[in-house]
Amino acid sequence: MKKVLVVDDSISVARQLEKILTDSGEFQVVGHGKNGMEAIRLHQTEHPDIICMDMNMPGMDGLTALRTLVALDKNVKVVMVTSLGGVGDKFTEALRLGARTVISKPFEADNVLKILREL
Amino acid sequence: MAVKFFGQFLVEKGVVSREILLQAIELQESVNLSFGATALTMGLLAEGDIEKVHNAQRTEDLRFGDMAVKLGLLTNEQMMQVLGRQKNTHLYIGEALVKVGALSADQLPALLDEFKADQAQYATDKVAIPAGVADAPFWEMLADLTYKMLTRVALLTFRPEPISTAQSLPAMEVYAAMEFSGDVSGRYFLGVSAVTQKQIAREILKEANVDGEPKEVLDDTVMEFVNVVLGNVAAKAAQMGKAIEIAPPELVEAAGEIQAAAGQSALRFPVCLADGDRVELAVFIK
Repeated sequence: MKKVLVVDDSISVARQLEKILTDSGEFQVVGHGKNGMEAIRLHQTEHPDIICMDMNMPGMDGLTALRTLVALDKNVKVVMVTSLGGVGDKFTEALRLGARTVISKPFEADNVLKILREL
Repeated sequence: MAVKFFGQFLVEKGVVSREILLQAIELQESVNLSFGATALTMGLLAEGDIEKVHNAQRTEDLRFGDMAVKLGLLTNEQMMQVLGRQKNTHLYIGEALVKVGALSADQLPALLDEFKADQAQYATDKVAIPAGVADAPFWEMLADLTYKMLTRVALLTFRPEPISTAQSLPAMEVYAAMEFSGDVSGRYFLGVSAVTQKQIAREILKEANVDGEPKEVLDDTVMEFVNVVLGNVAAKAAQMGKAIEIAPPELVEAAGEIQAAAGQSALRFPVCLADGDRVELAVFIK
């Protein structure tokens, strides 16, 4: 079972993602960070296979955290899950920084699972 | 389900890879020059002129071409020539993907049709913004997209009330807000009753019953709804050529009415729900 770290300042999004991933029986959520700093810390301690991370968070935002995560581990698999996914510049910046892809909010369970399975 | 741009749609469908999309975007960036760079290549402006325009833009909100005309660096006719050149040489992402070999020219029309059909649900419908309000098309899009998200994300049935300007917002049980800034700036508000908050919570959490949820979780769902609306507004704004940045959503702790700050006004676009309840929607324009 693949280990997933969820990073989002919203408790409700974290719950929604955890439910989708756990119900699939294919993924196990191993942690929930609320900002970029927590993403970096939890990546070091939990060693997730995949990180699902928001962009717009208080404190360290998702793109700043992505830059650091890729510098620490060039094989890190980060998927940005964000309401800003449809903003072309943000989408492009995320891919350039090393995100595997970007999922826009509101998201659909099937689409989230399809994308994570393909990583 | 969200507002997307064509390249993102193709990556999600698995038609192109992220690596190829980035190649196509790099090609676009090398071809689609800014107004200043285009005028430079046409020999109409010198490097020093570009700096003069940029300096002047720091104190006055004018587009590059308009400022160049105002400073006497370009005539109106030359400005139109530069705009014409930009338009004629503009490379769209679909064309760029064909040029880098990711798509064939024959595939493109069908994929564009599929994309348009996917995004048709977010085409902006007519919303009447009061006369005299600047950036009316942006506010029209924001109000309309909010209505669409209330329908599709929160599954609420409602009737929009006439949009008006005001100096304050009425007291509601829960208000969430979000700052946005850039080509258009303001503070977005969504106010709901406890009953409507639970409806939003049910749909955000995908839970049939949220009666036992703590206040913190219920409040978070309203903030997340605001986040989804404004993120998609930013995506639509980008399609309109306007860049906005959004801040994280906040809960507004207000005992009563919310007053606009001095020099600001609120654009109110509330809706009346099918059960008689109301959702207060507004932007304090900066």
